[in-house]
Amino acid sequence: MTAITARVGGFRWTSPRAVGIYGIGLGALAFWLALPPVAARTVLLPVFIGLLAMLAGVWAIARDEKRVGWGAVAAGAAGIGLGFLATRSSTANLDSVVVWSALFAATLRYATPLIYAAIGGLYCERSGVVNVALEGMLLTGAFFGIWTIIWAHTWAGDFAWVIALVGAALAGMLLATIHAVWSVSLKVDQIISGTALNFLAVGITGYIFIDKYGDSGTPGNITDYGIPDIHLNFLSGVPLIGPIFGQLNLMIWLSFLLLIGTQIFVFHTPYGLRLRSVGEHPRAADTVGISVYKTRYVAVIASGGIAALGGAYLSCGFVHSFNENMTQGIGFIGLAALVFGKWRPFPTWGATLLFGFSSALADRLPNAYGNQWGTLFQALPYVLTIIAVAGVIGRSVGPAAAGRPYEKQ
Amino acid sequence: MSAQGPILELRGITKRFPGVLANDAIDFDLEAGEVHALLGENGAGKSTLMNILYGLYTPDEGEILLRGQRIELGSTKAAIEHGIGMVHQHFMLIPVMTVAENIVLASEPRHAGVLLDYGAAAGRVNELSERYGLAVDPSARIDRITVGQQQRVEILKALYRGAEILVLDEPTAVLTPQEAQELFEIIRSLESQGKSIIFISHKLNEVLEIANRVSTLRRGKLVDTVSAAGATEESLARMMVGREVLLRVDKEPSHPGEPLLSVENLVVIDDRGLEVVHDVSLEVRAGEILGLAGVDGNGQSELIDVIAGLRHAESGRVILDGEDISHETARNALDRGIGHIPEDRHRRGLVLPFTLTENLALHAYRSAPDSRRGFLQLRRMLERARRLLKEFDVRGGTPSTPAAALSGGNQQKVVLAREIDADPKVLIAAQPTRGLDVGAIEFVHRRLVEQRDAGRAVFLVSLELEEILSLSDRILVIYEGRIVDEFPPTATEEELGFAMTGGRRDRAA
Amino acid sequence: MADELLEEEFEEAPAGGEPPSPQQHFASTWGFLGKFGGVVGPIITTVFAFLMAGVAVAVIGKNPIKVYRAIYDGTGLNFFFHFGSYSIRLPFSTEHVWFWWDTSSPAAANLQQTLLITTPIICCALALSFAFRCGLFNIGGQGQYLVGSYFAVWVGTSFVHLSPFMHVVFCLVAGALAGALYAGIAGILKATVGAHEVITTIMLNWIAIWVGEWLFGQQGPLQNTSQPSIPISNDIATGAKLPIFWGPKLLQGLSIGIFIALGALVVYWLIINRTTLGFEVRAVGFNPDAARYSGISVARSYFLAMAIAGMFAGLGGALDITGWEYRLGQLDIPASTIGFIGLAAALLGRNTAIGILAASLLFGALINGTSGRQLDPTVFRPDLAGNLTIIIQGLVILFVGLDMTRLLAGARRKLRT
Repeated sequence: MTAITARVGGFRWTSPRAVGIYGIGLGALAFWLALPPVAARTVLLPVFIGLLAMLAGVWAIARDEKRVGWGAVAAGAAGIGLGFLATRSSTANLDSVVVWSALFAATLRYATPLIYAAIGGLYCERSGVVNVALEGMLLTGAFFGIWTIIWAHTWAGDFAWVIALVGAALAGMLLATIHAVWSVSLKVDQIISGTALNFLAVGITGYIFIDKYGDSGTPGNITDYGIPDIHLNFLSGVPLIGPIFGQLNLMIWLSFLLLIGTQIFVFHTPYGLRLRSVGEHPRAADTVGISVYKTRYVAVIASGGIAALGGAYLSCGFVHSFNENMTQGIGFIGLAALVFGKWRPFPTWGATLLFGFSSALADRLPNAYGNQWGTLFQALPYVLTIIAVAGVIGRSVGPAAAGRPYEKQ
Repeated sequence: MSAQGPILELRGITKRFPGVLANDAIDFDLEAGEVHALLGENGAGKSTLMNILYGLYTPDEGEILLRGQRIELGSTKAAIEHGIGMVHQHFMLIPVMTVAENIVLASEPRHAGVLLDYGAAAGRVNELSERYGLAVDPSARIDRITVGQQQRVEILKALYRGAEILVLDEPTAVLTPQEAQELFEIIRSLESQGKSIIFISHKLNEVLEIANRVSTLRRGKLVDTVSAAGATEESLARMMVGREVLLRVDKEPSHPGEPLLSVENLVVIDDRGLEVVHDVSLEVRAGEILGLAGVDGNGQSELIDVIAGLRHAESGRVILDGEDISHETARNALDRGIGHIPEDRHRRGLVLPFTLTENLALHAYRSAPDSRRGFLQLRRMLERARRLLKEFDVRGGTPSTPAAALSGGNQQKVVLAREIDADPKVLIAAQPTRGLDVGAIEFVHRRLVEQRDAGRAVFLVSLELEEILSLSDRILVIYEGRIVDEFPPTATEEELGFAMTGGRRDRAA
Repeated sequence: MADELLEEEFEEAPAGGEPPSPQQHFASTWGFLGKFGGVVGPIITTVFAFLMAGVAVAVIGKNPIKVYRAIYDGTGLNFFFHFGSYSIRLPFSTEHVWFWWDTSSPAAANLQQTLLITTPIICCALALSFAFRCGLFNIGGQGQYLVGSYFAVWVGTSFVHLSPFMHVVFCLVAGALAGALYAGIAGILKATVGAHEVITTIMLNWIAIWVGEWLFGQQGPLQNTSQPSIPISNDIATGAKLPIFWGPKLLQGLSIGIFIALGALVVYWLIINRTTLGFEVRAVGFNPDAARYSGISVARSYFLAMAIAGMFAGLGGALDITGWEYRLGQLDIPASTIGFIGLAAALLGRNTAIGILAASLLFGALINGTSGRQLDPTVFRPDLAGNLTIIIQGLVILFVGLDMTRLLAGARRKLRT
């Protein structure tokens, strides 16, 4: 803990750590240069820059910055390898995969459910309750969102999505309430409780889904009245920015607000201070009169509501349908992003963008390389998550009391 | 603060826990502007009484009067609102937050209604620390300031909440003698500004130095309340313990032989990447007890970890009976003859849900006769357990009882039995009597001296000067990761205390 | 912190009169758990879960009693309640003997199916339990099971020149080792950098699924050679199939895989309770700090516990391939939930060998009874019943969790990496 701040405090532009970070950047550059629009066709360029990256890494390792140094070496090697592959691919293939604006827009779309999950998890874990049920909360939100939107569409018309968001959030909060009762009051192991809720979420949503829509699936016209996109026509002429931000779903914009709001709430309000104190040292919070149980209940339930909104976006704003167990581990990736982002909103957002980008890339690769390889690329976000959890965040330290039930005296 | 009687009165307070009468009809009163000491051994009921006063427990019987008015204290919040502040023995501070954040927590200054006003918070902290002479830096993080400063933060926390009555629970336990003197200055200053203070301790000299009156608890009962002016250490000790006790260990003079353990120029880096042991060299000889005195957190734990193979040194060597074991694993260090009584028996010494048989076999399970070809020989393990439980007089459990079910003293006997039975050349005892009652302490001390007389090298690390002085044949003092001095066992506590502070260099820098 | 206070106040206190005796309280709790709680708790849990699931059935207008009855009839458990005196043929011989039960009745056929499903559930349950005893929560049984089945398919469809016995043994060993290595990834990451096993094993599950879809999908490396449009593997060689000892050879009779699973249970019990490795694993599971201080390598225990856990799950996958599936299709892969059922069975069985056996049988029966081929769709839709089973699993874990807390007391878990 202290070591991290000590190092951050002592950051210098020529320190081994900084050089290691430059190395990682160079590794990425090596790959990037081989991609459109630069699309260098010679192998020498990525190899040269990749070697520079590895050199920087070795220099940093020699000066005892092992972690970052090895990261730079790996980035350099990856840059050379990927750059080599890219220069060997046809320009046509590269152009069809690497359309930066489309990739970035897709990154935002894929990252959004992750952000909601991760921010939901942030509140929960900052209060000292581990939440592996984010997956189930997303799924619950996805199903109850689409269920209410179909129902509300019959009487609320185009504003059915408002009702759907409320419905999804309520369902997520209900599920989270169970987690709160189990982990806060009954003091059950929080991972077991969360796992049970993931099962329940799959079972319950699948059960009602089969009963209601089992034969033909959710209606196809949800596209018409789902959560709306925001059209910013004045951006249409701007290159790169226009195609990315010109037509984004409302929930994506709301996720930006959520991020800023969370940053302010957690670090700049008394309530945030209390939330963090409960997660770090519940007895200390208790002795100054903060109710640990109440704080944790509110945080856990809020986390369920927020994660469920991400689920509602997924079903009502993104794919416009529901399938059994459709979240496919997104909740867990969100959790990993939270750990990666050291339980802080903006770094966590960065992590979700990274994972979202890998999903977007996996989605576009089949365009050029066929379905068979495309299937394998679907594993990319999960591989990346493992690497992230294992590599960079080995020393990321969470709220001290997370996972421990609080025993009042 | 007029002379209208005591500011606080506890009448007939009784508190029962399953199987224990922790407080038995206790009467206690506190005058405005006085320091009233509450004296008693571990487990005498002091903490229970103060937790009642702080709203953490509700008494089964009795009442609490504040300025003559009966009050109900159902929660800590209520206690705070009534102006009662507590400085806990284990600080209630959040290590990753700043001093200011810790102090204002739960009654934060705001601007715009909802935002936390960090500027105002720092301002209020500065104002308070000036008024009472408690210098702290509001923007420093708690885990980066000294223990003494942390304690000031705790006091400021109570004052910030408008405390008129301050309860200090064993405040000097974590302090050096010099830091304790500074604390006494602070207490006198608070007293002069009209605050009333309850000072909990089991150290007689301190109580006599700082208190106006002394109340003594023994086994849950109030023995007497006397004026400090007329009391002596002897009279208080008799009240506290109920008999004349002097913790003296009967032991013959030592006959040290060859060095069994030598540590040479050891440098150790801790988990945070800081160098916590600098160039330490020492020797423990066969047949002697070497005591290592020092305030907690001066590198003792890391030093022991390296000797026991749990951590690797940055440089330097550990030599056990002529063999270099610096690069051995913990397993090999144990096998070569290091015995280790770890400082926290619940966390490190025992696997609480394991049976006593399993706990006693924690070292021996790996080799014959306790196991053969990877399979446990349960009967042999059981035989060992029966033998050791008898030999070490462990009470309250059979070989199949989980260790969690034993009392602390008996748990420590199990650890001791296991380590001694492994027949080590060197026995490291880290805080071997922490939290034990008098009987168990005597038992542990006797066993350690026996091991010395049997020709083993005993390395005793303790924060209790009394323990160090009564057991050791030689005493080293560690300060900030350096061995700063060596003393014979005839040294006084004052001499040791002075060395433990290393010439009073300020660690905060 | 609570412990500290308790310690100060009770444990060390030579307080008034009799010394306090928390030991009696504690000992009685443990004794009770050992004698009664061990059985009573899970039974109450199960009954409660089935009651609540019954409510879910009633909510959509079906009669829960009828539905449960129909499910029960499909499980084959009624086989045991028809006593008689029947002449049956001994497996693998032409001898006939007298037996109490009719081994060729329809109920017997149903029971064979139940036991076929029970086989991998036992293995996957062991995958959770073994890691659990080391303080690790291995949610990756599903992925480890899948990887084991991939390798069994690969070995079973390749190496056709091997002798039948060698071939099937090779299949099982390959599956088990693959599972062990796969789980070992999570074990290594936990042991070296402290990556939390819950996140890594869940990610490994998804990676296993996508890799499987690639392997068995169109133009995938393990897709069959005769029909390129069908995303399914070749059949494994006859020599790679386990002998069937009960029921029809061609219609999914019961293979000797069930005995291998029972053997795995015994091995589990032996390792945990009778070996030094099990001793270390349990010590680390209860208190990693104390284990470290007594010279046990915690990292090594984490890795070995995960690897052995994965070995059990991988074996389960291989048993399914060699016992009755014989091939693997792309669509089977995401649809499989055996690993998660095993998780629920392990928790319900409280990680004891006998408990796992009973709980696996319960879930095996439930899965079989709600399967499309056993459950009459006019009584209850099988796909609804499938989700009902998941709800029951969730409820079981939820309520078992109330007890599990005690078992985990030593390993204070934090989701940090």
